[in-house]
Amino acid sequence: MGMLGAATSAAGLLPSTAYASLGDTLNALRSSLDSFTRDTFNGLSVFVVPGPDAYSRAQGTPRPEPGAMEMATTPFLIKALDGSFPFPSLSQPVAAALASGLAATPLPLPTAGLSLSEVEALGPITSVDQAVTYLLRNNQTIPLSQVVALLLDFLAIQVNPASAIGPFQSPFPRLTFAQKAQAMSLLEGGDSNLVALLDTQLPQSAQSSVSGFLKFIAGALLEFAAAGSYSEFSVFDPATRTLSGRPLGWQLTGYLPNGLVEGWDDFQGYFQNRTEVTS
Amino acid sequence: MRDVIVIGAGGGGPVVAKELAARGLDVLLLEAGPNSNRPREQWTHLENDANNPLTGFLRFGPADRSKPAWFRDTPQNCFLWQVAGVGGTTLHYYGNSPRAMPGVFAGYGGADAAAYDVGHLFPFPYSELVPYYQWVEATLPVQTAPMGTKEKLFLAGAGTLGIPVQTTKDTLRSGYRPQENAILQPGGTAGRTTDPALLQHPTATGCTFCGHCVHGCMEPISAPQNLFAKRSTANSYVPMALTADSWAPFGKAVTLIADAFATQIQTAQLNGQQAATGVVWRIGATGDTQQESARVVVLAGGSTESPRLWLNSGLPNATDSVGRGYTDHYLDLLVGVFDKDTGNSKGPASAARCDFPGYGCIQGSGSGPSMLAFALAFSNSGIQGSYSNGGGATGPWDGPAGRRIGPALKDTLDHGIDRLMAVLVITDDDVQPQNRVTLSGLPADEHGKVPRVVFDRDARSARTVRNREFLARQSAALLRGAGATKVYRLDFPDLILHCMSTMRMGQSDTDSVLDANAESRSVKQLFVADNSALANSLGGSNPTLTTQALATRTAEKIFTRYFGGHPWVGHESPVVSTDQRVTSALLARGL
Repeated sequence: MGMLGAATSAAGLLPSTAYASLGDTLNALRSSLDSFTRDTFNGLSVFVVPGPDAYSRAQGTPRPEPGAMEMATTPFLIKALDGSFPFPSLSQPVAAALASGLAATPLPLPTAGLSLSEVEALGPITSVDQAVTYLLRNNQTIPLSQVVALLLDFLAIQVNPASAIGPFQSPFPRLTFAQKAQAMSLLEGGDSNLVALLDTQLPQSAQSSVSGFLKFIAGALLEFAAAGSYSEFSVFDPATRTLSGRPLGWQLTGYLPNGLVEGWDDFQGYFQNRTEVTS
Repeated sequence: MRDVIVIGAGGGGPVVAKELAARGLDVLLLEAGPNSNRPREQWTHLENDANNPLTGFLRFGPADRSKPAWFRDTPQNCFLWQVAGVGGTTLHYYGNSPRAMPGVFAGYGGADAAAYDVGHLFPFPYSELVPYYQWVEATLPVQTAPMGTKEKLFLAGAGTLGIPVQTTKDTLRSGYRPQENAILQPGGTAGRTTDPALLQHPTATGCTFCGHCVHGCMEPISAPQNLFAKRSTANSYVPMALTADSWAPFGKAVTLIADAFATQIQTAQLNGQQAATGVVWRIGATGDTQQESARVVVLAGGSTESPRLWLNSGLPNATDSVGRGYTDHYLDLLVGVFDKDTGNSKGPASAARCDFPGYGCIQGSGSGPSMLAFALAFSNSGIQGSYSNGGGATGPWDGPAGRRIGPALKDTLDHGIDRLMAVLVITDDDVQPQNRVTLSGLPADEHGKVPRVVFDRDARSARTVRNREFLARQSAALLRGAGATKVYRLDFPDLILHCMSTMRMGQSDTDSVLDANAESRSVKQLFVADNSALANSLGGSNPTLTTQALATRTAEKIFTRYFGGHPWVGHESPVVSTDQRVTSALLARGL
């Protein structure tokens, strides 16, 4: 029996919720996992671009000037991931495998921010792995951002098992900067435990693509976090194609000090006064 | 039935389309992406809006930005950066237009003849391509780049390397120089003011030094499209193609269809040989499939999509050469930190370079903060100070190569975007069969199986690795010579944006798809006219100009072989793409 089977069976043991309709339960689970995912990505975003926030303090690198939390890097990353890999037939087995891997260290399902009725709708589902498994069992799609959050948290627990509990809603933000680097090292290096876990769920034809995609993702998470932070994303209105304020990345780097320009007065002639060369 | 169907309106396809339209042929030009011919209404100067690879207006994706980008399977730490749309990747290119190194062509007799990828030379001499270079350089036109602050710094640093100044278009020895760029030189108020009221065409002409080459050029304000400063094919060859009847004595205007993704090249047995007969494409907005027949088909979808379309069309691949030998210049980046103004974010993105025949090139690379943040986080050597993935090379740069993440990233970027300067390493990399495009095992999209692009970094040839290390050291020395107080080396993963040689022409029919005329060896009436047709990585020269010269030559081959015509390069004078007849026709027709 593959990991998906094991995970499905585990969820099958859960009593159905006696407190709410299936739809309410699914909605509550999605809200909780959304919150869990944002928390994990907050931990990643400040790893790349730290600032004055609690997540940066927790990893031991607080900065006085604005950082990723002020630059909306987490929503940037989540939006990017959820638009990048249109293959749920592959990402869902990965989610199932990660849920199975996390079952050994149940992570409490966050309820902060949920309404009382939503908390009630969760019923007996109290851990992240149970939530993912329940959603999959009910043919719900787990967004790629949530799959990646599970991945980062799976690695976080490998790097520091104590990160399973503590402040915040997920393990990754509980790591120090050095521990986060170690987790990224495992992802980039194709950590054998992770690959073994995922390969059990995937058809052989897709294994190299998915393990390759993980290496791609490891790099892309860091690069996109950096690029998104220092872009105009947080103050850009796509409908009007205008900025609602000065992007923080521009402020920090001194880019375009007077706003957008159509030209600069930086023309300084031609090298050795040569305006053309011989053909 | 058309005379010619050209698949792809990027750097190469429009060249063939324009040249054959000028001869009076009936040419259909297909482009998978959008036609952004109203850039003031469609674009901004904003980094993420332009170049976010998933949602940006210069992404590789459909015209409708609410739809997802087209997926490519890239199973390694890398970034494949191509642009869909009329103009293709020339929409965001820097306009750098050096000629190739003469040593990568057959018959080269220089003392350094053994220093190149000698197993994969072009199947004709360099001298044969020179007239085509001259034709393209006059058409675009290509001009010597002006200097801004960052060029003064770069050239001062280059002057400390002990190499001479190059004053010829041909690269005959190591040297440094301003770029030869496909960018109109600044005229009037351009480059001399920041006042937008004074940067209207024709008060300002040519490059306004806005610093937005990579976001697509739409300067000066109100200029007709064929007078925008940067000579993307959208601003040069496509306007000429669409107005060929107005400036060529026997010209016939090209039919352009954008949002049209070719999904099949059709073939039949003609005179005992398989030959191309037509093209099937899908219209993105409607999902409708259309087809037309043609006497000749020209494949110019780029080095990733051209082999994909070939394979998805079920065309023959007996020697397994299709898609193999992908070269990408194995790019790397070094960033210098200065205590003075570098002008990094201003002016043409790259306007100065050094060439090292047998090794490759290095060039200045200006950018805004988002792109530079991306670059500083882009490494195959892990995170500087934390882990190295077995890399982390040390040398005349500060610390081991690797990403700058967290406090290190902020310390670097927040030092000031205009107190940094980046030097791009452009390696003369070898054609290697394991670097390739195949069809992915992931689910297909609406255009068929998606391409899988594989680069085996660990198997890069010793010559390629040696060249890159040499160039990285030269870059560090240049930055130090220019006054950098710190120099960081990234050790990029594959940044696949000089996409070359996957459908390469070559001397041997066992390892090349195309013959010396750029016609397919196995399917007649089918030519290739994008970077994929290049035989090799050009010795490290930026590829667009050579692709355009080769495409001009290919247009002549098509015209003489299949339409009974005569060559024109060397017999006629080219019309420059800024010609008033082109401008007038564009305006009169509302194009």
